This record gives sequence, C-alpha cells and structure tokens, in this order.
Amino acid sequence: MNKLFQVIFFLFLLSISKISFSADKKAGEKRYNKTCINCHGPAGKGVASYPKISGNKISYTKSKLEAYRAKIKQGPNSSLMFMFAKPLTDEEIANLAAYLKDAKYN
Amino acid sequence: MFIRNKLLPIFITILMMFGLSFNAHADGHKGMKVPSIKSSVLIKGLDAPWDMGFLSDGTMFFTEKCKGLSVRTKNGKINKLYGMKGSKGYADSGSDLFCSGQAGMLGVVADMNFAKNRALYVYSTSTKYHGSGCKTNFEKCDGNIVMRFNVSKDLKSVSNRTDIVKDIQYKPFESNQPFGGPGAHNGGRLRIGPGGFLWVTGGDRHRGICPQDGKLLCGKVLRIDGDGNAHPGNNPPKGFDKRIYTYGHRNVQGIDFRPSDGRAFTSEHGPWHNDEITGLINGGNAGWDPAEKRAGRGACPDKYCGYEPNQKKGMDPSIRAAYTPMSDTRFKDLMPAAWNNNGYSQGTGSAAFLKGSNWGIYEGRLAVGIMGIGFGDTPPGKRIDLISITPDGLGINGIVRMPLGFSKRFRGLVMGPDNALYVAVDAGEIYRVTGELN
Repeated sequence: MNKLFQVIFFLFLLSISKISFSADKKAGEKRYNKTCINCHGPAGKGVASYPKISGNKISYTKSKLEAYRAKIKQGPNSSLMFMFAKPLTDEEIANLAAYLKDAKYN
Repeated sequence: MFIRNKLLPIFITILMMFGLSFNAHADGHKGMKVPSIKSSVLIKGLDAPWDMGFLSDGTMFFTEKCKGLSVRTKNGKINKLYGMKGSKGYADSGSDLFCSGQAGMLGVVADMNFAKNRALYVYSTSTKYHGSGCKTNFEKCDGNIVMRFNVSKDLKSVSNRTDIVKDIQYKPFESNQPFGGPGAHNGGRLRIGPGGFLWVTGGDRHRGICPQDGKLLCGKVLRIDGDGNAHPGNNPPKGFDKRIYTYGHRNVQGIDFRPSDGRAFTSEHGPWHNDEITGLINGGNAGWDPAEKRAGRGACPDKYCGYEPNQKKGMDPSIRAAYTPMSDTRFKDLMPAAWNNNGYSQGTGSAAFLKGSNWGIYEGRLAVGIMGIGFGDTPPGKRIDLISITPDGLGINGIVRMPLGFSKRFRGLVMGPDNALYVAVDAGEIYRVTGELN
C-alpha cells in the first residue's frame, strides 16, 4: 500500500513537472510574430536570404537559439541573430522551438 | 450703424455656412477623389516571387528567385518557361543559373516592341562568366547577367537565349559584415524607359570600391539597348563604361519613370540608415562610397565601410550616416535624394508610379514597397508608402501609407495595363491592388 502510494505520488509529481515545463506553442507563436517574422517570414517558412526555420526538432532550434544568445557564430548572419537572441529567456526559447517544430504557412 | 447692427450678423452667418459646408466636404472626402483601395491574391504558393513584367493584354511574366521564369496568361494559366539549375517542371533551363543569399533570378521586363520581336529580358545570377575572377571577394567576379529570350506565340516556351550583359559583379564568399553571406546587393530590377531602352539597376555587392569605380558595373544604373549596347546619350564621367547612366548606388531594387516628365527615379536600401528615393540625372553620382581609407575613414572589415562604425551593434542611425553617408556631399556631381525615410533603413525595395485616374488624388504618386526589417532599434515597417515627389525631384510634398490592411515584405511592385498595382511579396504571393473612385 505504501509502495502504491509512492508510485501514485511519483506519477503526480511527474505530471505536475510536465505541466510546469511543457512549452507553450501559442506563446511561441506570439513571440515569433513580435520580431522573428520580419526576417524569416510567416510561420518560419524562410524568405529572401533568411533561411527556413520551421520543421526542425525542438532540440535543434533550442540549441541554435541558445548558441546565438551566447554569441557563438553559426553563419554569415550570426551578428544579427546575436542581437535578437540576446533578450530571449529559456522559456521563450522553449516556446519558440515548440511553435516552429510544426509551424506551417499556407 | 445700420451696417454694424444688421448686416454684420448676416455676414457672419453666411461665412459660417460656407465654412461649415467646406468642413463637411473635407471630413467626408467629397470632391477629393480619394480612391477606395482593395487587394486580392492573384497567385499564391510561389517561392520568393521577385518581379513581374506585363504585356498590354494582361499577360504577366514573373520570376521566382531560386526557381525560374514563368508566365501567367491572360486566361490565368501558368506556364513554366525557363528554370534555374535543379528546378523542375520548366520547358527549358539554364545549368549556369543559380541562387545564393539575395542573388538569383530577379528582374523581368518585356521589350517595348514585344508584339513584333517577342523579346523578353531577365536578370539572373550565373556561373557562366566567372572565369578565374571569383577566387576571392576582392576580384571582379562577373556573376550577374541580363538575358534576352524570344517567347513563343503560345507562351509555352522561350528560345534563343542571348546574354546581352555578362559583367555585373557578384559577391562569391561570406564576409565580415552583417548580412554578410554570398550573393549580397545585386540590384536586379529591369524596366523599359522612355524610347524603349532597357534600364538595369545594380548593387555594390559588398565591395567597397564598386560604386565609385567607373569600370565596374556594380553599384550602377545602366541604360542600354536590346543588344546590350550603351544608349548613345549616356553621359557618364570620362573613362567610365558608356553603359552607365548613373553611379554611386548601394543596392537599387526599384526604378520607374515619372509619368509627367519621364524622369527616372530609383529606390534603394540604406545601410541601417537612410533608405533613399532619388531622381536620376544623366551621368550623376548617387553618393554612396563605402570604400575604406576615404572621407576620413580608416580600415574597415573586409575593406567595406558600409555598416561602420560599430557594424555589429545597434546605434543611432545618424551617427552611421555621418560616417558613411548614403549621399555623400563631398561629391560635386551628387544627385540629392528626394526622400530618406526619416533617416531609417527599413528595406526599401521596389517602386512604381501610380498611373490612371482611378487612383484619384494618388495618381502620379510613387508607390514604394518597404520590407520592414528592424535592426538596432529601427522600428520595423512593412508597408507600401505613397510618396508625392516635388516637380524638381529634390523633395516630397507628402507621404501616406497605402491602406492595405495587412503587412508583408513587399518585394516587387509594377503597374499592370489595367492601371492596377501588382505586388510580389517574399512569403509567396502576388497581389493585385486596385484603386477605384466611388
């Protein structure tokens, strides 16, 4: 009985942590439309010389944004991305990555 | 006394009546010919549409930067005519044509005598004439060309490709600049001007010496005939390439001819400061000189001072403007800009004069597409501005934002034969925008 209670309690904690840390796609979309859309176009489809950034794994987008935030060069437009990534919080990066994974432009 | 007591109130009443009447008209725009502006999507699902060129019957040629040339017939059918290397579904293709960064298949325009000669002009990036000149960013690197095609009568194919300009420079490698990838600053707009001559706009391709060098075609506006020869009336400085109409440009993506006098006006991107509209003067200098060790400047990253000082951080645009001006007043042959976007650079691209009485009070204004990237505290501003330019071309009478109800990256603007404005946006659509008087 004691073990059963422990398992249930563990699962409860797990669900709580999932709620707390699961990324918010809606918030990600809102943040994307604030600045990112000006270069990367609607839904991250990529426009002009700015690459497509939708459809990637969440871990990939997160690592890219974290690297830009840390001012690690990753391509010819890195210096521009340093500026835009600088104010991003961990939560915003997670939200953006979650939104961009499935974002589509009609 | 009689006049003061009896007539004065009547006089004031009459004045008030006229005054109220005038105000009512002004508020309701009655008699002001304010057009109702509407837009609709003509084509969607394109890949970076860049420019359109019309025939008088409404047939529309258009380019997609990394795919190729297509045509929309007057019945709405789309035929893919000439693709770039690797593109699929086109009737023909050029294995030398490629896209990279801002470069690719850009401008398109039909010859003035298209009904007779079926000639169509297209601007693109090509490997064909690189030779050994593209080993570094500091060589000539001929990588942008203008092609002439013959279009079949059924509008299903093109033939007889002739490269009439082979030596517009291209940036082959990444450099230490913002937006520093290969393929930067190609200009690329093609238009037919008064008399049927072809105008070709260029960019500085991130090479400091380009705009002021009379032998290089980067950073220039060309005026040529359908075979690529210089217009006999071009008047560039002594020793310059005779195809040059104006020089000292940064990245001209817009050009059109004022209906009232035929004068050419360009629109071009500024370098984090001062987008510009400029009335051209034959042989004139637009005043852009990003070369290092000039005008009091020292060395710059990769010999290009175009984003200096402090090129990788935001700063007051006016400080940049003082360091490397878009219109440097030390040049005696400077063509002063008519408009500078209040000192901002927001991605000013294509431009077209609104033609037709259906545009009411906006007829004759220059519609300017602004793509609206905001860096370094510059507010983004994706919009189309309608600018009334003064007759002398040195200033503006006024400016309003076109009430479209949406914001996009407005890349290519051109008037159609139906007096509608056609607009290509980077996201993949071509819009038809109409002005109608009620």
